[in-house]
Amino acid sequence: MATVVDSGAIPTSQAEAPGGRIERHAGVDRLFHWLTAASVLTLMATGLLPVLGVQFNWVVVHWSVGCLLIVLVLFHIVRSLIWQRLRTMWFSGAELARKQVGKYTVAQKLMHIAMTLMILGATITGGTMLAKMDTPLWKRDPYVLSQETWGAIYVIHGLAALSAVTLVMIHVYFSILPENRMYLRAMIKGWITRQELVQHHDAHTKQ
Amino acid sequence: MELFRVGHDVYGQRVLEGIAWDLLPVFAGIGAVVILGHLIYKLIRGNRGA
Repeated sequence: MATVVDSGAIPTSQAEAPGGRIERHAGVDRLFHWLTAASVLTLMATGLLPVLGVQFNWVVVHWSVGCLLIVLVLFHIVRSLIWQRLRTMWFSGAELARKQVGKYTVAQKLMHIAMTLMILGATITGGTMLAKMDTPLWKRDPYVLSQETWGAIYVIHGLAALSAVTLVMIHVYFSILPENRMYLRAMIKGWITRQELVQHHDAHTKQ
Repeated sequence: MELFRVGHDVYGQRVLEGIAWDLLPVFAGIGAVVILGHLIYKLIRGNRGA
């Protein structure tokens, strides 16, 4: 069993499991990541394919998966506030000066911030748009907000959808680069080797 | 190129309907430019390092 390296601060005597594997992502975080990825890709497909002329009954799938994404986002917020360290995802002066690399690189943190803004924009506006849907749980009420407000909500939701195209392209590209293959493996299997940790990260940073 | 989709309500007033979907190729293009830019950067840096 690998040792959990949640904050990036690794006690050298305990971090290495037999075989030199160090856990980078716990199973629950990997499950969250891939469920979020599947949700975002499904939402992009159901939201943008009709725009490209592929017509199908997309609305029910779109709002159902959107609800799943909202639940995933709430789970992630609670988990990161209580069980993880927020500063793991923020920048230190040493990192910005390229003197130190914590658990995540500056590029990974920038991608996380961009994805966070995109997903929050999409889920907050999408969740609000559920007021315009007839669902088994509630009846639609489009008059809960003014027409101008709905317009702004549609703009933000659309902007998030278009941004998702850019971000997913960049995220997938960087994740399959040979030099980043260890991060992809870590997101699938959970671990990196001690050698990879020493080569690419400063093991004792608190970031 | 329009940035927004605009329609009219029952009173004939202009209402904002969302972002213009014509921007989809622009956003895909930004992704492609970043990827190509990084590939070119890697190529140049690799040649310099060799």
